[in-house]
Amino acid sequence: MKLLVVDDEGIVLESCRRVLEFEGYEVSLAKSADEALELIEKEDFLLLLMDLKMPVHDGIYLMRELKNRKKDVPIIVMSGYSTNETIAEADMMGANLFLPKPFTPDELLAAIREISKRRSAR
Amino acid sequence: MQHSTRYRLIFSFLAVSFVAGGVSLFIGGYLLYNAVLMEANNQVRLALNAADDVYETHVKFVKVALSITTLGAGFRSSLSEKRTEDLLDRLDRMAQHAQMDFAGIVAADGANICRIGPKVFQDEKGQHENIIARYVISHKHEIAGTVVLSKAFISRENMELADRTQFYPFKGANQLMPDDDQQLACMAIGAGIPIFENRVNGELIGVLYGGIVLNQSTNIVDQAQKSFFFDDVQQEKTTPMASILFDRIRIATNIVDEKGNRAIGTEVPDEVKEQVVIQGKQWTTTQLYLNDRYISAYEPIEDILGRRVGMLSIAVLESNYSNVQKKFFLFFMLATFLGAMIAIVMGYFISYQIMKPIHRLMKASQEVSTGNLSPDIGPISRDKEIAILQTTFKDMVESMKRRRMESRSQIIQSEKQASVGRLAAGVAHEINNPLTGVLTYTHMLLRRTDFPDDVRADLQVIAESTERVRKIVKGLLDFSRQTKLDPEPTEINRLVEASIKLIENQALLKGVTVQFHQGETLPLITLDRSQIQSVLLNILINALDASKPSDTITVHTTPALSASDTGNRGVEIIISDTGCGIAPDNLNKIFDPFFSTKEVGKGTGLGLSVSLGIVKEHGGAIRVQSEMGKGTTFFVWLPMNMNIGETKNETIGR
Ligand SMILES: Nc1ncnc2c1ncn2[C@@H]1O[C@H](COP(=O)(O)OP(=O)(O)OP(=O)(O)O)[C@@H](O)[C@H]1O
Ligand SMILES: [Mg+2]
Repeated sequence: MKLLVVDDEGIVLESCRRVLEFEGYEVSLAKSADEALELIEKEDFLLLLMDLKMPVHDGIYLMRELKNRKKDVPIIVMSGYSTNETIAEADMMGANLFLPKPFTPDELLAAIREISKRRSAR
Repeated sequence: MQHSTRYRLIFSFLAVSFVAGGVSLFIGGYLLYNAVLMEANNQVRLALNAADDVYETHVKFVKVALSITTLGAGFRSSLSEKRTEDLLDRLDRMAQHAQMDFAGIVAADGANICRIGPKVFQDEKGQHENIIARYVISHKHEIAGTVVLSKAFISRENMELADRTQFYPFKGANQLMPDDDQQLACMAIGAGIPIFENRVNGELIGVLYGGIVLNQSTNIVDQAQKSFFFDDVQQEKTTPMASILFDRIRIATNIVDEKGNRAIGTEVPDEVKEQVVIQGKQWTTTQLYLNDRYISAYEPIEDILGRRVGMLSIAVLESNYSNVQKKFFLFFMLATFLGAMIAIVMGYFISYQIMKPIHRLMKASQEVSTGNLSPDIGPISRDKEIAILQTTFKDMVESMKRRRMESRSQIIQSEKQASVGRLAAGVAHEINNPLTGVLTYTHMLLRRTDFPDDVRADLQVIAESTERVRKIVKGLLDFSRQTKLDPEPTEINRLVEASIKLIENQALLKGVTVQFHQGETLPLITLDRSQIQSVLLNILINALDASKPSDTITVHTTPALSASDTGNRGVEIIISDTGCGIAPDNLNKIFDPFFSTKEVGKGTGLGLSVSLGIVKEHGGAIRVQSEMGKGTTFFVWLPMNMNIGETKNETIGR
């Protein structure tokens, strides 16, 4: 199954694609929350990596939409500027992990591993 | 509206003097008024007595005149022989002498023998209307006094007299008529003398009668008035005035109306008639007549039959007496006014004395508000309250001075931190995305094994440098982050102990000893453990960085009150080292963001400014003491109950 990365910044999307494809994951990329929603409507994803601060619709909106559409997908929130409040909000909206930017490939993979570990533990 | 205290004081004094003056004016005026009124009443009564005397004298005079006539030689014989010419001659002389209005002689059967005045028809029925004669005939002795005479009687006696006399209706004027039949009548004083056959006793042969009609008469009232000239100061208007009243009508008086005519025919109020004529009392009253108020006294006049038929009255202008009262009022007003003037002067002076130091203080506080923190408040007053005010003010200004010194640098500090914080947050956020790219691509390249070693070494440098950038940006973010506190009650000693544990290894490696003297009976402090721990760690690491091998870091904890004026309870954590110390020039810079003396790459210079932000957020404070070459001590004070709202505005990184 595929992973979906959502970020308004191309360099972040490309970085994630590089690392994840190198590790053998299939990856889809979305430049906005709306684009991501379109993709999610079409197919199911194994995991969602998303930025919080995006123009037009932000990550919080995306998570709310997912909840509304009853899509139960594990979510890793990536953010370059995390406050306790934003973390708490993302947490509330169903984020499973918080990955502060910038991150190294190892940190990204560790986060994904952490999620799948939690998944299988359930 | 605001009044100055001075005017309020003066107004109070004025009010007091006015109240005092007013009360004494009122009471004094009231007492005096009563005294004057009593005096007036007494005088009026005295005058009434005098008038009564005059009246009685006239009655006696009429009687005496009649008696003398009867005693005249030949009178009796003339009467027995009915020599009317002679009798009339005698009567005329007598009447002229005594100014009688009527006089005459009747026989023992009441039949008229002769009378003065123009001759009129002879009538025999008239005898019954001659009250005087009838009285004397039936009682057989002389009589003198007041009589009510019907118009019919007067007309028969003397037509001329009847014409010029003003008659008034009166019940029972004619003895033959029923009492309730009103008949025109007048009032007179008269007398009757019985004449007997011989001087000792014997048959009644006639009655000599005569009298003066009181209606419109001026004699008695004017004589009475003359007798009132107590002293020559009195002027005409102030003289008491006498009146004779027939029933309730003034028939003779020297009260005059506005045209100067005697007020004849005027009536007194019902009340007076009720009290005097009907009840028979002496009566004093004040009444209005022609715009003037009079004090009037009345006494009843009885006629010879014992009926109260009229009144004798005296009236005095009330203003005679109220003048005294006016003078009194004037005097008191003057006194009150004088009192008020004294009150103003005194109030002004006293308030000046009281207000002087207060004005000084006012001026001083104005100076303080415009920035002069060394104002002159003058000598300390002897007044306890004002002295307290002055010393309190002095203390206040002193502490303001102290605080201003402290806060000036603090304000600069926190402003600097706030703006740097905002900048840092923006920059950090923008940098993080490209930094992710750099980190990812570098590490991906490093994973490849097909590069020569020198390329790999270069990639390694890129990776490490990027790592440093990441650390700096993270520091910036930590610094700017408006972190919400997650406070919980904490044992300070445990927290300090845990923090020390974390640096113990590093200290050991460097050969630095770390000592911890735990304070006892410390209160639990509510704080965000991880944040305070990062504060302690930063200070400890700074101390460690400043230390040489064999130096010592000593940590104390102790209960302490707040250093500021609030005196809040709390705990102080004292961290001292024996390291290199801080240069005096740097002492007020170390809390600035990015101030660091550490070599490039070792310190970001954010540690202490972040720490200060955290501690302030907790409502606490950090102080520092340092001596070059000897060491440095940091004092971290934390309140027992943090009051976040109090310090929120000073937090950094908005
Ligand atoms: N105990 C101390 N003895 C001597 N100098 C000190 C001590 N603590 C702080 N300083 C001085 O204050 C400066 C600022 O300290 P601060 O903790 O803010 O930044 P830093 O330690 O240089 O960097 P960072 O903590 O961000 O890694 C230090 O560089 C040092 O010069
Ligand atoms: Mg430091």
